[in-house]
Amino acid sequence: MLKILDFFDYAKSESLWMAHFCTGCCSLEMAAAMGPRYDWERYGYLPTPTPRQADVLMITGLVSKKILPALLRTYAQMPEPKYVVAMGACSFDGGPYNDSLSVIKNPTEILPADVFIAGCPPKPEAIIEGLEQVKQKIKNGEPSAASQGGLWKEMEF
Amino acid sequence: MESIKKLLEKFSCEYVEDYKKTWIKAKLNSKEDLLSLGEVLKTEGLRSLSTISPTDFLDADVMEVNYFFEDLDTKRNLWLKVDLPRDEESCEIESLTPLFPSAEWHEREAFSMFGVNFLHHPDLREIIKSEDFTGVYPFRKDFDWDAHEKNQVQNVQQIVDAFKKEQEENEVDLDPDSSETILNWGPTHPASGPIRLRVHCDGEEVISVDPDIGYVWRALEHLVTKKDFVGAIVAVERLCFMDNINSMTAYALAVEEIAGVEITPFAKWMRVLLGEVARVSSHFMGLGMFFNNMGLHTLAMWNMDTREFFLDFLESYSGARIATAAVEPGGVRYGLDMVMFDELQKALDKFDSSIGEVEAVFVKNPTMKMRAHNVGRLSGDEVHQFGLSGIVARASGVQTDIRIDEPYDAYSELDLEYITQERGSAQDRFMMLFAELKQSIEIIKKAKAHIEEKVASEEMNPTKDHMVKVPKKLPKGEAISRVEWARGEVLMHLVTEEKAKSPYRLKMRAPSFNHTMMLNYLLKGRTLSDIPLIFGSLYICQGDLDR
Amino acid sequence: MSASLFHSFVFPGLLYVLLWTVGLYWFFRKFMAALHKRVGPSFNGKGGSYQTLFDLSKLLTKESITPDGVNPYLFSMMPLLAVIIAMLPSAFVPWMDGFVVVDSHYGLLALVVLIGIEPFLLFLTGFGSNNKYSFLGGIRILTQAISMETSFFLAALSPAVLFGSMNLTYIVEASSWMSFAVLLPGFALYFIALLGLLEQPPFNIPDAEQEIVYGFYTEYSGTNYFMLQLAMFAEFMAVFSGATTLFLGAYKGIFFDSYFFFFMKMLGIAVMMMTLRAATPRITLAQMLKFSWKYMVPLTLLNIAWVFLAKSLWFMGA
Repeated sequence: MLKILDFFDYAKSESLWMAHFCTGCCSLEMAAAMGPRYDWERYGYLPTPTPRQADVLMITGLVSKKILPALLRTYAQMPEPKYVVAMGACSFDGGPYNDSLSVIKNPTEILPADVFIAGCPPKPEAIIEGLEQVKQKIKNGEPSAASQGGLWKEMEF
Repeated sequence: MESIKKLLEKFSCEYVEDYKKTWIKAKLNSKEDLLSLGEVLKTEGLRSLSTISPTDFLDADVMEVNYFFEDLDTKRNLWLKVDLPRDEESCEIESLTPLFPSAEWHEREAFSMFGVNFLHHPDLREIIKSEDFTGVYPFRKDFDWDAHEKNQVQNVQQIVDAFKKEQEENEVDLDPDSSETILNWGPTHPASGPIRLRVHCDGEEVISVDPDIGYVWRALEHLVTKKDFVGAIVAVERLCFMDNINSMTAYALAVEEIAGVEITPFAKWMRVLLGEVARVSSHFMGLGMFFNNMGLHTLAMWNMDTREFFLDFLESYSGARIATAAVEPGGVRYGLDMVMFDELQKALDKFDSSIGEVEAVFVKNPTMKMRAHNVGRLSGDEVHQFGLSGIVARASGVQTDIRIDEPYDAYSELDLEYITQERGSAQDRFMMLFAELKQSIEIIKKAKAHIEEKVASEEMNPTKDHMVKVPKKLPKGEAISRVEWARGEVLMHLVTEEKAKSPYRLKMRAPSFNHTMMLNYLLKGRTLSDIPLIFGSLYICQGDLDR
Repeated sequence: MSASLFHSFVFPGLLYVLLWTVGLYWFFRKFMAALHKRVGPSFNGKGGSYQTLFDLSKLLTKESITPDGVNPYLFSMMPLLAVIIAMLPSAFVPWMDGFVVVDSHYGLLALVVLIGIEPFLLFLTGFGSNNKYSFLGGIRILTQAISMETSFFLAALSPAVLFGSMNLTYIVEASSWMSFAVLLPGFALYFIALLGLLEQPPFNIPDAEQEIVYGFYTEYSGTNYFMLQLAMFAEFMAVFSGATTLFLGAYKGIFFDSYFFFFMKMLGIAVMMMTLRAATPRITLAQMLKFSWKYMVPLTLLNIAWVFLAKSLWFMGA
């Protein structure tokens, strides 16, 4: 019995589907990661049209103030277990838009991310490496960061 | 040009002067004259209002509004200035929207950002801004950003509340007995990207479309004022990552004009070369998106395959695949090692070997023709009225291309020809993209051969000629520059103060703004299936839509 | 008793359908990737062959969300029902020489009717989702089913007319190279109608991602979505095996008869479908309707007439 459950846990870690949600420029490199040269489908990643079937929410770059409610709602629509990957400098501290008056500098304080991928925009190899780390995290049985805390729990959206 | 000057004589102007080759710069004394001048200009042929750019002069207590009128046929342009009082109550002027439909969203933007009140505007709502800026005008120089930023948690809550309220009240106004509903096409829609179209529809039929934009608003025009003149290219290139080189070129041209710097021929040719590489990589994405929006991903994948080779060249030149920061005031940022051209040659070879199959399978695709042949048609007249540019304008047979009309950098030395299509449908816009892709490849080949030849004859030094020094502090002045971007005309209006270290005001006129305005016009009465097709064919990038 | 248990749970029942789903899903992804100049799944198992197993297992054990304001019974029952209905036709198909679970004189009728019910179940999933996009997808699939099934039924009728029987075993036994040639136009029409019925490009209108998000699938997650996927692939199997049985002589091979040939013929149809998928954009609903009623239905009727003529010329008395 335990073996069967282990198999399903392993299956969860090896099959990550992304919610299709782009908040910023990094989605361009995400498209390149899907493309022929990098082809992230080799590792089993697949974009899905609706968040209902997704396992991973990718914050692709900056999060502007206006898109934040939609981002949180997309996260809420995903089924458990779900993970968040923050791409690019912008999702860490605002990056090149740190001085901008319309970009949220600390989106991961609101929605904590499991993995940060560095770069502006991150190269496709880095994106794949970041997602491999999510796999590792699931294999280790760690709970997702967003389920542990974050301002999103206190907000109504 | 003389006829425009003659027209202006009838109005009291502070000055009327020539500017560059194709522009006249004038300043009206009285704002009451604007509407009658607009009527006269329209009959004269200056039918497109390119953009409206207010500048907030805090010290002089004046809000200066700049209008940029263009005639796409005869290439005569007018830069008109009007002074308005600065205080919020009396900062108002007659709207030009009834005369120039292209002004509609530009006036809304000026209203949202600067609080310029346009009288008799048909639909003066705030645009782009998020809800925490409702009623305040963030681009005014006396806007207290630090105080606003202190309340960040409250601001976010305000936005979230507004979002919730909107979701709940979305359909309250609709007649409960009718079958009309509102679909939110975006911002999480698979084909939309960060834009939201409120689609009023009755079953499959679209009644009207109300685009809600600003989801990637980064306030770039405000952001550059906090950076120095070189640092500003980081913000400028993020106008849209798909083609970032040409937007940097536009900015660099404006700075060089104010500084009075002439760049080297090598830098000019490099800008052409890099700009066309960026255009190619953008067009590859555009072609792919067009078919993606009809549910076919193969072309996007094939194009991505070729595009990677062009990005390889950019990477070997600048160290980054996309965020190259390769063009800056004074030339191009890096010297060129001639070995880098090997990468470019690889990309060109790859293009030559793969373009044939793309043409056979996709450009001649009968199902695509069936879908797109009669959809989203724009006549040449509409192009003029709505101030469209780039492939959208040329697909309707309007001969406009800044590279030819107002050649910058080394484009004057290239013999370019207008590429146009006749019918202005979605299919024609796709064909335009494909034709321009080939044209850009030809330009790259020419530029590459030219640089190689001049380097071989030692007229150019690729490691030293790439930059001339631009002073860190610029004199007081203002300049406009236009470039032909991948999506159309980019116009940058740069204002500097005395001994300034950073721009005082930078207005970026981006083509997607006008093109998105057309969505409601084109989609009315069509079906839901046409939304992604028309959206894709207009070649919109949300980055330069929101800025 | 044990035989019927074997039939319902192993072959050609549940296990067979599961294996088929995992295998065909993997094959689709690999083949599509090859047409895209990509590699496709490759790091889990040989050539990524475990990938779809993992994907489906994950979906099976993930949370199934029932959205607010839907009828939970309708919402969760429909995927289950869809799987069962989609699996039933394989009981009527002669998979091997002499092997058929239900040998009925009305096998063809059962096959066609069971395939024909499926879109209505999917409509109910969209109807029950309390989502505008799902509902639009439901309406679209209903529209498409009504207009495409007419030509599907008429095309499937042509072998019955030729052989004078609705018994699938008899149809397979009576088929020959000659009958294959006579039925070739019928097969072409069946194939086109099949695309419409299975929502494959250029007729993937009901789940058009770029227009209505994911159609009736939009609100489904976890186990329910797994069921719908299973139903979709079982439906593929039903329709492909129908085509193979009716037009291509089922298990009949060149030198010997075997299940192997049956499988290869089904795979051949899948390859045709995928190649079309990689090269054809989606058409609009109005174009589909026009195509269906203006060209497909008259052509299928003409095809019946042609089969009658051929029968009277070459098959009478045989």
